[in-house]
Amino acid sequence: MKNTITYLVLFVGVLIGTSSCTKEVTIDIPGYEEMLVIDGRIETDQPPFVLLSTSKEVYAPTDLNSFLNGFISGATITVSDGTTTVVLDEICSDNLPPGSEPTVAALLGVPESELANYHICGYTTFNTAIWGQVGKTYDLTVEYDGQTYTASTTIVQPTYLNSVFWKPDEGYTDRGYSWANLTDQAGQFDAYKWEVKRIATDTAGNPVDNNFTPTFSPVIDDEFFNGLTFDFYYENPFAQGPEVPDDELFYFMYGDTVVIKFSKMDKGVYEYMEKKYTQLATAGNPFATPTNIPSNIEGGALGVWAGYSPTFDTLICVP
Amino acid sequence: MRSIFLVFFTLLSTTLYSQENATLSGYLTDGTSGESIIGAKVYIPSIKKGAVTNTYGFYSLSVPSGKYTVEFRATGLPTEVKEIDLSKDVRLDIEMGANLQNIEEVVVKGTAEDNTKSTKIGQIELDIDEIKTLPAFMGEVDVVKTIQLLPGVSSAAEGGQGFYVRGGGPDQNLVLLDEAVVYNAAHLFGFFSVFNADAVKSVNLIKGGMPANFGGRMSSVLEVNMNEGNNKSFHVKGGIGAISSRITVEGPIKKDKGSFVVSARRTYLDVIMKAAIPDDSPFAGSSYFFYDLNLKMNYKLGDKDKIFLSGYYGKDEFTFGNQEDDFQVTMPWGNGIAALRWNHLFSNKLFMNVTGTFTDYLFSFGSQQDEFQFELKSGIRDFGGKVDFTYFPNNRHKIKWGLDYINHTFTPTSVSASQEDVVFDTGLAQQLFSHETAAYVLDEFDVNENIRVNAGLRYSTFAHVGPFTRYIKGDISTPDSTIQYSKGDILKFYQGLEPRVSLRWLLPDKSSIKAGYSYNYQYVHLTSLSAVSLPTDIWFPTTDIAQPQKGWQGSIGYFRNFAKNKYETSVELYYKGMNNLIEYKEGALPTDNVNDNTDNLLTFGRGWSYGAEFFVKRVFGKVTGWVGYTWSKTERQFDNLNNGEVFPAKYDRRHDLSVVVSYKPTKRWVFSSSFIYATGNTLTLPSSWYVQNQDLLFHYGQRNSTRMAPYHRLDISATWYSKAYKEKVDPVTGETIQVKKRFKSNWAFSIYNVYNRANPYFLYVDNDGDFLQGDFEIKVKQVTLFPIIPSVTWNFEL
Repeated sequence: MKNTITYLVLFVGVLIGTSSCTKEVTIDIPGYEEMLVIDGRIETDQPPFVLLSTSKEVYAPTDLNSFLNGFISGATITVSDGTTTVVLDEICSDNLPPGSEPTVAALLGVPESELANYHICGYTTFNTAIWGQVGKTYDLTVEYDGQTYTASTTIVQPTYLNSVFWKPDEGYTDRGYSWANLTDQAGQFDAYKWEVKRIATDTAGNPVDNNFTPTFSPVIDDEFFNGLTFDFYYENPFAQGPEVPDDELFYFMYGDTVVIKFSKMDKGVYEYMEKKYTQLATAGNPFATPTNIPSNIEGGALGVWAGYSPTFDTLICVP
Repeated sequence: MRSIFLVFFTLLSTTLYSQENATLSGYLTDGTSGESIIGAKVYIPSIKKGAVTNTYGFYSLSVPSGKYTVEFRATGLPTEVKEIDLSKDVRLDIEMGANLQNIEEVVVKGTAEDNTKSTKIGQIELDIDEIKTLPAFMGEVDVVKTIQLLPGVSSAAEGGQGFYVRGGGPDQNLVLLDEAVVYNAAHLFGFFSVFNADAVKSVNLIKGGMPANFGGRMSSVLEVNMNEGNNKSFHVKGGIGAISSRITVEGPIKKDKGSFVVSARRTYLDVIMKAAIPDDSPFAGSSYFFYDLNLKMNYKLGDKDKIFLSGYYGKDEFTFGNQEDDFQVTMPWGNGIAALRWNHLFSNKLFMNVTGTFTDYLFSFGSQQDEFQFELKSGIRDFGGKVDFTYFPNNRHKIKWGLDYINHTFTPTSVSASQEDVVFDTGLAQQLFSHETAAYVLDEFDVNENIRVNAGLRYSTFAHVGPFTRYIKGDISTPDSTIQYSKGDILKFYQGLEPRVSLRWLLPDKSSIKAGYSYNYQYVHLTSLSAVSLPTDIWFPTTDIAQPQKGWQGSIGYFRNFAKNKYETSVELYYKGMNNLIEYKEGALPTDNVNDNTDNLLTFGRGWSYGAEFFVKRVFGKVTGWVGYTWSKTERQFDNLNNGEVFPAKYDRRHDLSVVVSYKPTKRWVFSSSFIYATGNTLTLPSSWYVQNQDLLFHYGQRNSTRMAPYHRLDISATWYSKAYKEKVDPVTGETIQVKKRFKSNWAFSIYNVYNRANPYFLYVDNDGDFLQGDFEIKVKQVTLFPIIPSVTWNFEL
């Protein structure tokens, strides 16, 4: 439903786009001030993980190496569930505790084999007493450069999908979307996120996906379907790009196998994610409102401290 | 406020004298069509007294009894001079130019000294025939775009219909079509006006010194009157253009008693799109068109009564589909407007007009993808009634009073959605009901020969009434709740006094100084989420939460004509203050309107604007036209936006220049050009970027802190007219005489954006490449809408 509004915005953009021309310009954009970016998350049965960086001026060089090596170290970060308080350890990708490489690679989105090439520092803990548990609220405190930033997130009760299934789209036998049936909990706020990971290996035998990829407009709340049971679908976020034939765009093909990660989050995290994905979907559209993403972090930092309670389903794309 | 009343009534009582006076009154009509003439002047040179006809062509002039030479002057028609014995009251209806053989010889502007002599400040009347010869975008003659060429008025964006008057928002303009309110005066996202120029008789813009008989908006009044129709003979006129065609039929219902006119216009973009999009394209079936219909009828019920019925219906319809994706969107929107008016003369001094109006604006958006269906509707329905009296007690006073009532029903958002048999909870269809009333009185009077004052007072009220559901939004831990109000409940009642005064002081050298002050309440608001105006912008009334907008404007100007009124010049300075302006809170999304009240998403602030306007107009001659230049500054301050700091309005323009020139070398050619230069609009762009979970996100800096490149454009046009007369040998005298041709036509050639300037429509920050591949770049891109566009239109009349 929210997609539909996005479609409207995109559609009008397309209309204008067809009769217009675009050129690059250099124009003064005042108002830049460097801000701390806190990218923190905690999931059920997972350690808390926090990356610190800073915002960059819009015309600043976007050099990958300087960015990846520019994560901030030296901060003091604590996570508390109300009874247990743990100071997170700073770990760097080129100096990881043995055995943690796959987890860190997934968290950073960097191939495991390349971890050592970067000096990416993050904050986590191997103390399982503070790993994510359903129903608990986790308070984050970041102290850096004389400033203190705080945030709070709850790992809410998960909602399991009743079923996941694949069916060919109308007019086809070999391609279709990923479908699911959901019963939303009545009388409470629920917000969901849909991500997928392909179960396949490349020619070298390595898995094609290390981590989960969010689909298009991957978050939704239950404003429109509170307490209802219904079918819905999501497109295939991998089936895009110049190498994908037009008639295969956004489809899962017969026989594809994916794991669906269906997570729930609290309202503060949802508000961040909703605006984030709206910004990503409408970037560059004049009809979209220039909107800053509302952080759940107090103290003047950008980013989010996000608790998730995921459930996992495997979808084999056969009718 | 009590002192204002005292001054007003003291002025009234001291000057309402009566001696042995006689009244000359009547209607002035065009002799060839029977159309009433607006703004014509009735003048007695010997005593330097005069009167001006009102919107219905009525005039009334009371002078000491005696015999007088009276002049009747109207633009484009020969002046009629009559010797009239006013030893008693005389009713004189005149058909001006009835015996005219060659209308083209008449170039006199009948109301030549209006510029300096009237109390009108910040008021401009446009000649519709002049508008028709100016360059037109895609050949579509457009009154609103012509208005945008006047000083103090700016366009919203390239090709846009929205206009900003002296720093006010586009919702602060009261747009009236035959006295009925038009909420959305645009077709095709604002590129075309709903006013079909063939159906328009007169256009009047009031941008300052608003008289007390107008209200409900803070910045301006755009009064558009439709043609009444020829009550002498049947005529057909029309035009075939690049993107649309139009036809108008007019004629008598009963000769000299009543007439009708019907105008229709339709675009054929859908036909062009159908041809352009192949049947096997996934987008086959996508189309767009608009059409509109104007209808007007009038009938004289006797010497004292006349009725008018006006109607407008226009609709835009978009269809967009992707067959492969089984995706379809339909988006129709449009206005329906009707006005029924009754003029009655109680006496030769007391004129009454009673109006009933109906306005309906509906926007709908429907989409379907596979089994999922979604529909969004938004609209306004107004029923209104008003009565206006004009009393001409003597030659020093013209007094108007009246009452106005509007019953509003607003539907900001109504959403329904379903998937097969599952119906989604999209909340209640939000409707808001309200009553808007006003009463006013004004007197335009001469204090002495040089000073004329127009003083008025308007009292307006607004009641937000039930039924209504107020959503109380919970925070993270508390659920939402609602409060129900029943029919008849008054949620909130607002009222206010709106004093208005304007003054003209005639100087010995025939120039004049004028000053005006007005205070206005505005009870309806346009809420916009996007940087560009869209039909999805929602009209929203004042509620218990959203307060009425309040504003005041002071202006002063110097007016002088040169070369026997060939040149009109003026300089005006203004300051405008506005309170309770509305904007969406930061981060609001269109869907936030669902299961919530729109006003819960709004935030309120203030604004101000000041500037200087310079205007030089050459009124007649082979070369006519004007130069208008405005220097202005417009700012806003909202506690909850931009950290409470002052920011420029998005249409804050330091410089705005328009040059319009028409050259008529022969009777059959008119060449015109218009040039505009304006400081670029402001907009909000991201000032920084950051990364969260491998996604690059933008963070916006200060609101409207980026300014686009200046806008400038030159348009030219040439209009070629067929011969209006044919030569014929008089069978009796054997002389060659000229006879009017019944069939006339013209070709209008236009070139928009002659030097193909790439004007900025909007800017956006784009990111190219892949961060991980190392070829990532962030760039600012500028979108330009219209390149050079030639067009040709053929118009005919028979």
